[in-house]
Amino acid sequence: MSNWLAELTAVFVKDLRAEFRTKVSLNAVGLFALTTLAAVSYTIGPYRIAEADRPFLLGALLWIVIFFASMAGLDRSFVKEEETHTAALLRLAAHPLVVWAGKLLFNLVLLIVLMAILVPLYCVLMGYRVESPWWFLAVLATGGYTLAVTTTMVAAIIARAMSRGALFSVLSLPLLLPLLIFVIQGTTAASQGEVDGVLSTLRAVISLGGIMTVLSVFLFPVVWND
Amino acid sequence: MRLNDALKWGLLVWMAVVIWAAFQWAPSAVGFQGESARIVFFHVPTAWVATLAFLVSCVASILYLWRRDPMNDVRAASSAALGLLFALLATVTGSIFARIMWGSYWNWDPRETSITFLLLIYAAYFALRAAVADPERRATLAAVYAILAFVTVPFLVFVVPRIWWSLHPDTIINKQGTIKMDSRMFQVLMGSLIGFTGLFVWLYTIECRIERIRQRRQQELL
Amino acid sequence: MNDLMGITLVTLIIWVGLFAYVYRVDRKVRRLED
Repeated sequence: MSNWLAELTAVFVKDLRAEFRTKVSLNAVGLFALTTLAAVSYTIGPYRIAEADRPFLLGALLWIVIFFASMAGLDRSFVKEEETHTAALLRLAAHPLVVWAGKLLFNLVLLIVLMAILVPLYCVLMGYRVESPWWFLAVLATGGYTLAVTTTMVAAIIARAMSRGALFSVLSLPLLLPLLIFVIQGTTAASQGEVDGVLSTLRAVISLGGIMTVLSVFLFPVVWND
Repeated sequence: MRLNDALKWGLLVWMAVVIWAAFQWAPSAVGFQGESARIVFFHVPTAWVATLAFLVSCVASILYLWRRDPMNDVRAASSAALGLLFALLATVTGSIFARIMWGSYWNWDPRETSITFLLLIYAAYFALRAAVADPERRATLAAVYAILAFVTVPFLVFVVPRIWWSLHPDTIINKQGTIKMDSRMFQVLMGSLIGFTGLFVWLYTIECRIERIRQRRQQELL
Repeated sequence: MNDLMGITLVTLIIWVGLFAYVYRVDRKVRRLED
């Protein structure tokens, strides 16, 4: 039992260490997010949006930045294995689900780091006032998890295809659009303190995340062992 | 063969009757601009077939992953191709109706959004197929994606429109769960639904047969 | 009423044309299969 935990940690730490050495994903994701934030803040800023529209529009913009920043770097952990030709070794060394969990964890950490930096900056620069910060965090957390689990699966699929970067976005976005709609709704509700709205969003996002997790457990080994 | 032929001619007659009934027998719908509501007899079935085709694609994908029979990959791709066609038709007919009814071709009404996303999923599916050279890997990856994508469809189609206020007329799937449509219109709609489904099945079988012949030819060349 | 009859006839013609085309394809495929 503890063996798979050790393996999982090994996969995760390996990816983490490799990432800290080169910082490819971190740079891509971070720079994308910050550049977009700067652009949005400069062009729109805290004053251009009418008060009534702010909860919704600011929530929508935030999630759009998060999504596209994810597209810039969340496929890295799989693509890197293929590029450095370590994938075959990994297939021999670890159980597929361990690999999946390790890489999911890596993507989650990447996303958490992204959100930790982006969200406060965004709220400050855009003047985004959030009435219920804890519910806001809940939406971010559940939405982030579902985003990570979905993109991990897609990254595994595209790792051995051509035109990987573009394909990652093309395949991910349709799968992520229901999530996008839900979390924007939830963020809007959280910023206005509407607990009912947040709860219905959380229900939807958690069920989406749960379904994606279950599917990944079944389908990842199929893709990985191909 | 006899039964097959009979079914096909039957489809010809059936759809001809449906078309006639759609424009001549069904009454004008109250509350809609002119006779524009009649487009529903064509718009709804194409949207339904687009979703049905996707379901078939997903089932074929699951079967492929289970048994690895290449014919199932053929089935999945064929159904997806037709689904894409019908989704396009649904989008166009819906857009025409929107223009007549509300003055603009596109409003990002939740249902319009849903059909766009269905289109995006189909497009992504074929983009993936195009990006993988090895036939077996292509079949596997496409099958996995089809399953993942299908899971999001219920959310798009059913949950999202319920949450948001919709421009979409609420005559069939609505909160009360009742059917708010004139009985004649309903009958024609059901008839059209059956006809379009029959058309889809026919096109789908032809597509599969063509692909099987193509694969057989390739085998013979080897 | 006249407009409606016009649309009805056009749609019917389109349908019959489509059917004939698909039927032809069907027949060709059948020949290739045998």
